[in-house]
Amino acid sequence: MNALRVLDSPGARRILYALGGTVAVLLVGAILHPGFASWSSLRVMLVVASFTGFVAAGQMLVVLVGGIDLSIPWVLNGAAIVLTTSSLGQTSRAPLAIALALGVGALVGFGNGMGVAWLGVPAVVMTLGMNGVMQGLTLGLSKGLTCASCGSYAPSPLRGLFGGALPAQLFLWAGVGLFMTVLLTLTTFGRRVYAVGVNPRAAFLSGIGVRGVTVALYTLSGVFAALAGIALVAYGGQPSLGLGDPYLFESIAAVVVGGVSILGGRGHYLGVIAGSLTLVAVTTFLQAQRVPEYGRLMIYGLVILAILFAYGREKAHD
Amino acid sequence: MREALRRVSLGYLVLAATAVAYLVVYTSRLGRFPTSFDYLSILNTTLPLVFVAIGQSLVVLTGGIDLSVGGIVSVCVAVTASKVTGGAVSSYTWILAVLALGLCCGAVNGLIVAYGRIAPILVTLATLSIFSGLALRVLPVPGGSIPPEVRLVLTNPATPTGLIWLGLAVAGWLVLRRTRFGMRVYAVGSDESSARAVGVPAAAVKLKVYALSGLCSALAAVFYVSTTTAGDANAGNPFILTSIASVVVGGVAFSGGRGSALGAMAGAVALTLVIDILFFSGIDPLYQSLFQGLFLVVAVLLGTVGTLLARRRRLA
Repeated sequence: MNALRVLDSPGARRILYALGGTVAVLLVGAILHPGFASWSSLRVMLVVASFTGFVAAGQMLVVLVGGIDLSIPWVLNGAAIVLTTSSLGQTSRAPLAIALALGVGALVGFGNGMGVAWLGVPAVVMTLGMNGVMQGLTLGLSKGLTCASCGSYAPSPLRGLFGGALPAQLFLWAGVGLFMTVLLTLTTFGRRVYAVGVNPRAAFLSGIGVRGVTVALYTLSGVFAALAGIALVAYGGQPSLGLGDPYLFESIAAVVVGGVSILGGRGHYLGVIAGSLTLVAVTTFLQAQRVPEYGRLMIYGLVILAILFAYGREKAHD
Repeated sequence: MREALRRVSLGYLVLAATAVAYLVVYTSRLGRFPTSFDYLSILNTTLPLVFVAIGQSLVVLTGGIDLSVGGIVSVCVAVTASKVTGGAVSSYTWILAVLALGLCCGAVNGLIVAYGRIAPILVTLATLSIFSGLALRVLPVPGGSIPPEVRLVLTNPATPTGLIWLGLAVAGWLVLRRTRFGMRVYAVGSDESSARAVGVPAAAVKLKVYALSGLCSALAAVFYVSTTTAGDANAGNPFILTSIASVVVGGVAFSGGRGSALGAMAGAVALTLVIDILFFSGIDPLYQSLFQGLFLVVAVLLGTVGTLLARRRRLA
């Protein structure tokens, strides 16, 4: 009885829509392209979707309070380069290198949060500026990725994340999912996040430290971008410049396709997982159909528009 | 009213400061004042961004944002570079067609935002992907050209014909701001429900604003091809973030209803000057975006501090 009532809430319905979208794309793919929904192909899609899932976790947190994080691409790229240059591919240095990379993400996110919450800089401007700062620092300090240690590989234990029938990376993503769900639904902090997102003024008047919550969320977003950077460089072996560029708009799209309101205050990470999978499934399907790049871009945009029309519309005025 | 004046003047102050910095850095590095050639090259390289910034500022004035400017510039650059190739009549017909294309692309955004009731950032994110795909379809590999006659009229490398177009843009804005449509743009941006309550057709205003933004992107594309004499299907991408930066530096409020396209134009010129300043001060180009990012944040912070000071003075 209770479970039924939960399923009937608007929040749960949005998750169901998002999951329904994923299933629909997979079904269409499986019908038109036999083997599309087989486990081996599904496994690849899940791994690729996990990168989007990581950045979208951070993006979702700031979107929940009505913000946005445009600094994700170069935080991700910077963290990836920090990981390889500080580990030099050695297993013994891996823990320190991971801590350093995540620390860089946290520091940048903290800076974003301070700028937005304390200095009153609009989120778009603060994170856009920070993206430029990180791009300049990454390019400059690594001399355009030509420095002596820039050719290093990711330590081998990290590269082992992607092997086997059930890659460890998927467990890592499940861990992130569990963390996000517990944080947002079972903790006081989570309740505060939704309260700030629905109405910051009301939240402030009821005694919530709005600024503290905001800073914490931007910091977490930085950490998640760095985590995605670590995972991507572990997947590819070596970092490259522009590694994070596709993830700026992809993270926003995954969050919205996952049923999170861009205005803040509504949404669950379960939906974002479904959103990331839907986006990756669409891209994979178009590649399998040998659709040229221009067609992929256009269909991708049309699919996002269709999903927005299905459940991303705002209430009518008056 | 005073608030509006102060916000506009932020853009001019930033522009004046960067212009002075440019002169100082240039003369101390080269030991002479910039020549007319330098001014002309600044004018011609800054024109595309100026036009995109005008369009972006109109959208931001209504409280929206247009991420698809990158896609519209790309697709218009692709068509211009591949079709405007020879003969005065055919060239100008094609340029008109490109402007119509930009207008249509923008109108699609406007229709979905105004009548589909979907957040502008999401709509334009999706259409960005669609327009970028179109651009790639039209011009799969970088290339194309533009006839020299057209070039002499648009961005003449010897005489500042660009000034005429810049002047027309300024005049166009000054007229537009005083029309009924111009007033309605501010009304919708300040408080949409109040505007509706007094009978402003908010949806129609939004549709027109996005269409105008598309037209501005098309103009920018024509000038872009004219300056670089070639096209690239990815040419528009940098304009997404730089146009937002210009609008912000120009003192247009993100909440809508405050600021002016003139401020955004000043912001666009200032952003272009910053790149030249960095070049002439001998800073490693790899660090370029670091300083651009800092410039953006600091310019906005100055604006915030100015507001706080003004408020305190009024209270005292």
